[in-house]
Amino acid sequence: MREIMSRPDNLPDYRNPPLNEVVLGVQFAPAQGYQQIRAREVWELYRADFPFVEEQPPLPPTFETFGLPAQGNPFSFGIVAGAMHDRFWFLSKSRDEVIQFQQDRLLHNWRKGGDGNNSYPRFEKIIVNFEAELQLLEKYFNGLAVQNIKCNQAEISYTNHIPLDREGAPSKADDWLRILNFGDGAPDDISMVARRALLGSDGAPYGRIICEANTSLNPKGGRILVLALTVRGAPSEPSISSALDFLIKGRDVIVEEFTSITTDSAHGLWGRVR
Amino acid sequence: MNRTQSINAFERRLQVDTGANVSSHVAFSSRVLCEPRHAWRQRVIERLDELCKLQVGWDGYQAPPVSFANAHFAASMLASACPLDAPEPQIVPGASGDLQIEWHTETTDIELHIRAPNDVDAWRVVMSAPEREDQLHLTMDFRVVADWLVELSEASVAARSSAA
Repeated sequence: MREIMSRPDNLPDYRNPPLNEVVLGVQFAPAQGYQQIRAREVWELYRADFPFVEEQPPLPPTFETFGLPAQGNPFSFGIVAGAMHDRFWFLSKSRDEVIQFQQDRLLHNWRKGGDGNNSYPRFEKIIVNFEAELQLLEKYFNGLAVQNIKCNQAEISYTNHIPLDREGAPSKADDWLRILNFGDGAPDDISMVARRALLGSDGAPYGRIICEANTSLNPKGGRILVLALTVRGAPSEPSISSALDFLIKGRDVIVEEFTSITTDSAHGLWGRVR
Repeated sequence: MNRTQSINAFERRLQVDTGANVSSHVAFSSRVLCEPRHAWRQRVIERLDELCKLQVGWDGYQAPPVSFANAHFAASMLASACPLDAPEPQIVPGASGDLQIEWHTETTDIELHIRAPNDVDAWRVVMSAPEREDQLHLTMDFRVVADWLVELSEASVAARSSAA
């Protein structure tokens, strides 16, 4: 298991980022010998720290592939074939951390609690916990049949909630996001997705960054701009270690992108320290 | 600045700032009539759906249906690699939950064997140079397949023109 790493010195950092949720996830080939009836055994791996459970509809498989530019979104695809495995949420006592499990996915979410006062444990701690959770799952699968988890995608998402009607703060989306400058015709609401291939030093794509911005309301009815940044792709090897390396690289890409597309004045309000 | 100019300015600004293509702007496009990207798109989805629902032993032995993950990967790959005028592919199930995607025209044969997500054997032969076969192992980057399909589409158009 990797030691808790330190944040890279060159990465932008903020004292009060508008971060609302972070998700680390891995998609893998379904394990041999695993059936849904065993889901309780998987919960037992994490139950001490995640004592609550909820059932959710499954997430469809998602793959980032590359070819022609500007092909738009992948085929919308909703195959329903045979028995579907549910997705389970294993929730921590405070419900601000969630492990999501289904037969081909393991994800770890951290989210702001109801009062918004729980502090972000930082990526460096979350990824160490996620590695331990993946290793527990691999050990469990290995007890069903000799096998390792074969990761085929890894993804990391940062979702930010930017309040638009807080007293003393800017109220237009383009005061926060440089890419949303409509001049005098500020929109009433916004819904956009931008996708870009991430290229390695050899010029070949290794993943994709997806930037989503939508106006919405917070639980108290205040207007917010929801800015979600996701990096997804196939790890260079199907191992857990390689998937974690992808997530570490993805975090750096997201923080750089966040800094690039948000305004200097917003950085000031969020307490940029680097 | 009118509404259309605002939208165009927004898209240009987004591209300049992020290098990204604006792939979805639902609020702006609700009254726009769009043709499907590929005329065969729905048929391909139905075919993949059908292959995922095959009964175990469909081949007379013990073959399972095409796996859900392989079908999704195939759909993603086709969306990435197929130019707008690419002909409809044939999709053939394998005996291990795998599948093969094929194009056979008067000028070119292309076969993509999806063993698993990120594990694809690609093969091409062009009739004008049958001694030279292209054979590659691909993972998630299908730019070379996109090039093959562009060449296949152009060659098919040329062959039809000369026949006419």
